[in-house]
Amino acid sequence: MNKERLSIERKKQLKFFLIHAVIIISAAICVYPLLRIFSISLRPGDKLFSTDLSLVPAGATFTAYASLLKDTMFLRWLWNSLIITLATSFIGVSLASTAAYAFSRFRFPGKKAGLILLLSSQMIPAGMLILPLFLMIMKLNLMNTYLGMIIAYSVSSLPFSIWILKGYYDTIPRSLEEAALVDGTSQVGAFWRIILPLSTPALSIAFLFNFTTAWNEYLVARVVLFSAKQYTWTLGLFELQGQYITQWGMFAAGSMLVTIPVLCVFLYSSKWLISGLTLGSVKG
Amino acid sequence: MASVEFKGIVKKFNDNTVLNGVDVDIKDHEFVVIVGPSGCGKTTLLRMLAGLEDVTGGDILIDGLRVNELHPSKRQIAMVFQDYALYPHMTVEQNMSFALRLRKTDKAEIDARVEEAATILQLKSFLARMPKQLSGGQRQRVAIGRAIVRKPKVFLFDEPLSNLDAKLREEMRVEIAKLYQRLNATIIYVTHDQVEAMTLAGRIVIMNKGIVQQVGSPIEVYRKPANLFVAGFIGSPTMNFMHGKLSLEGDKVMFTSPDIKLSIPPYLLPANKVRDGQEVAVGVRPDDVVVGREAGEKCSDKIEGVLEVCELLGHRENLYIKVGGQRLLATVEAFFDRSPGSGVQLCFNYKNMHVFDKATENRISE
Amino acid sequence: MEILKSIQEVVWFILLISLGVGALEGYFYYHFQYYDRKWFFPAALAVMPALALAVFGQLLGGYTFQLWVYFLLAEAAIAAAFRYLVQGRHTVPYLLLAPAFVGLALLLVYPFVFEIYLSFHDLKLTTIMMWKNTGRLPFVGIDQYIKVFTTSPLSEVSFWALLGRTLLWTFTNVFFHVAGGFALALLLNNNIRWKGVYRTLLVIPWAMPQVVAVLAMRGEFHSQNGFVNIVLTKLTEAMPFLTQLGIGPVQWLSDYPLVTCTLINIWLGIPFMMVVILGGLQSISSSYYDAADIDGASYLQKLRFITVPLIRPVMMPAVTLGTVWTFNNINVIYLVTGQSGGTEQADILVSALYKAAFTYNRYSYSAAFAIVVFALLFFISVTYLHGFDAAKEDR
Repeated sequence: MNKERLSIERKKQLKFFLIHAVIIISAAICVYPLLRIFSISLRPGDKLFSTDLSLVPAGATFTAYASLLKDTMFLRWLWNSLIITLATSFIGVSLASTAAYAFSRFRFPGKKAGLILLLSSQMIPAGMLILPLFLMIMKLNLMNTYLGMIIAYSVSSLPFSIWILKGYYDTIPRSLEEAALVDGTSQVGAFWRIILPLSTPALSIAFLFNFTTAWNEYLVARVVLFSAKQYTWTLGLFELQGQYITQWGMFAAGSMLVTIPVLCVFLYSSKWLISGLTLGSVKG
Repeated sequence: MASVEFKGIVKKFNDNTVLNGVDVDIKDHEFVVIVGPSGCGKTTLLRMLAGLEDVTGGDILIDGLRVNELHPSKRQIAMVFQDYALYPHMTVEQNMSFALRLRKTDKAEIDARVEEAATILQLKSFLARMPKQLSGGQRQRVAIGRAIVRKPKVFLFDEPLSNLDAKLREEMRVEIAKLYQRLNATIIYVTHDQVEAMTLAGRIVIMNKGIVQQVGSPIEVYRKPANLFVAGFIGSPTMNFMHGKLSLEGDKVMFTSPDIKLSIPPYLLPANKVRDGQEVAVGVRPDDVVVGREAGEKCSDKIEGVLEVCELLGHRENLYIKVGGQRLLATVEAFFDRSPGSGVQLCFNYKNMHVFDKATENRISE
Repeated sequence: MEILKSIQEVVWFILLISLGVGALEGYFYYHFQYYDRKWFFPAALAVMPALALAVFGQLLGGYTFQLWVYFLLAEAAIAAAFRYLVQGRHTVPYLLLAPAFVGLALLLVYPFVFEIYLSFHDLKLTTIMMWKNTGRLPFVGIDQYIKVFTTSPLSEVSFWALLGRTLLWTFTNVFFHVAGGFALALLLNNNIRWKGVYRTLLVIPWAMPQVVAVLAMRGEFHSQNGFVNIVLTKLTEAMPFLTQLGIGPVQWLSDYPLVTCTLINIWLGIPFMMVVILGGLQSISSSYYDAADIDGASYLQKLRFITVPLIRPVMMPAVTLGTVWTFNNINVIYLVTGQSGGTEQADILVSALYKAAFTYNRYSYSAAFAIVVFALLFFISVTYLHGFDAAKEDR
């Protein structure tokens, strides 16, 4: 009896050991490239080619960071990205917040068609719209400008944002707005004073989603921006990583600088993003 | 304070008629309870009065003024919602003062009114809290406080107690009754619970399927239900119904069902009001079914039945008695001295018997 | 200074957009609110076309009389629709929707239509200046579509080779995403210590900016300095017999680019699937497993009869989305092979489409190509969703 229990205990321990082992190996595969970038970013300039695998290289320095900030326009690229991204996110979330409210609270002809349009827009290959957008921006003489980028980005996350916000509005009881109506607001006033303040979590998630999408975008930026001064950081890093191996260290340093904040924001909001994703897709 | 009139109210959702010609007059300072089963249109009627639903047909008047198209906030009403609808992002105080702030009322005036309402409702120590930090009963109070602060012409309550547990519900019922005495306001209160209706109302409006079935004081609707629906809806446990035919034997009115034969006394139903062979339902409340020895002593028309089940409630007891195919419920003093399966004698208290025409479902007895 | 200037530029732009939204709302408000007034038609026809001409005239080719007539006709049609069809109903929702849907129409629907227009005309490097100045393009009928199937979008691979590669790419990726995600989710769904930490670490590939992630991984596949080859070299040094099995360092980026891209994309895509499936697993009530335990089900039986069927409603949309995303994934392939002198051996349909347009400047050709790809994707999605619906009804 006792022996049997012991062997069951043993089996359990073995099982847990195996689970931990597999997960740790997977986690290592997931994290290792990031650690490698970190390690490369610390390498002194003459050791970039090294086949050394240790995480903190011999003679670790921050020279790559220093020369990245000094010798390249990295800060300028970050600034470009930031301003384009903030503007797009602001526009995207503002448009989405009212549209989602209409979908959540009203019945009107064309509602279903509108929702289907939103869903099916996700099917359109991103690569397909780049060409006409590029031509439109060229025709408007907005090549190589912030405005061209903002225009190209502004609606790309709109369908998803509308889905997330609609899902959130749906969970807010209607009686709150009715109470506000009785208390003396208009329908729009109820939206502004009651629904919007209550939706800050969902609004910030939609904002973050817009932000990360635009922040990480590469393909549109590639065709719209052509002078190094106007580059977003994605273009800049790609250039650094190009065939000149000497800049490999600076690439790594730049990657670290942009990844860490994005990573924090993402990990903080991932739960929300996922619930939004599954909500939108399951309901559709 | 104000009077409210509903004149021929019709409400349709697409092709679905929810209210079909509702006429009710509510006087100043009256506490009116609208009661009915779910889906009878009572909440819709209240929401139309509040201005939250469009009026398909008919007129709603507050203080003689037609308000059909008036914005909710201009009707001088306050509403307490079933789920309280407290604004989650505002403190208790902000919740209560929201309407006044929207109206740009004087700050001192707002504070005074909130203070007054909080005192009445014993909420003074919670004013700085958020709604989610409150218990169900406290939230209920805040919702009521939010209404009081406005000093409206009419208070509307939409099933305010249905989200509370049984004990709290009783307490809040008493609170609301006290509040009414204190405010002496016009209150319209919607519920599906006939106990709330009976205990709170000055007048009850009973609705079913979008039609007003009866309007009257609690005692009227209990003693003289206008039709089969009201008779079955008001009173707990439910009234016993026996379905059968009337016949005239000389100047006596006889009721015959497959299992039961009764003579109906003339003070209840004079012979000239009856057709021979008229199909009727006879209703008797469980309290008016006399059972056992008492029945043997008091009654002339005795009915023989078999006791099926006894339910002890404490000081009272429910007896389920089978008379042929008809089951009757009698509520008697505890403890009844027969065991299930034994035969019992019973009779009815004729004074409180009700006769309804089967075709029109209306009451034909006095 | 430049920073100030850029802020100023963007703030002006946002103000402009707000103004545009305001004008749009005003326009619709007028049509919703005053549709039944006597002066509705005259006022609308007098003011709106002139305003539209003033605002858009320069953009659409000068302030011409012809354009004014177009605007007049358009306004007449819109005003009539509002007067006789809409009649002021549903004002609030439409006003709320208007900005977003006008945005979508201008930047999603219009480009789509424009793409179709392009595909029947001939826009390339030699005609682009003409188009930019006059807005005219030579019409070529279905020539571009014929070329899609007969000539190579790039310089060597044919359409059919790309199609085959795309299907292989999509299938392989989605398969490994689901398999890997499912396995990890099952492991994480146990009651183990440090679960939160593991979860966080495992989603890092998804959380990193894709450009960084792909470029970093690309570095790891570098023939000399990449982690993969370093490890392979060390392995073959330690265990020489592996060389005989054909295992050893290879030129990943030039000899096996598609394999490299696939490996990178699998690495990128597993976390998303894992998180979605984990969410699904956690939503399954444990009472099902308790009941199955009492019924004597083994681990595999529980997996097969409880987990898989219950997780399906969560999985299917995620898999559909994942398929579409993988099919449309330009990022990974372009970032790995897109630099000058990059190979074509890894290209799938969408990346070839992008390169055809922007590396080879064959605009109209790539438009036709895009329409073909879209039709293909549409067909696949519809059959897919159809199967999904059928499966739904089965249950």
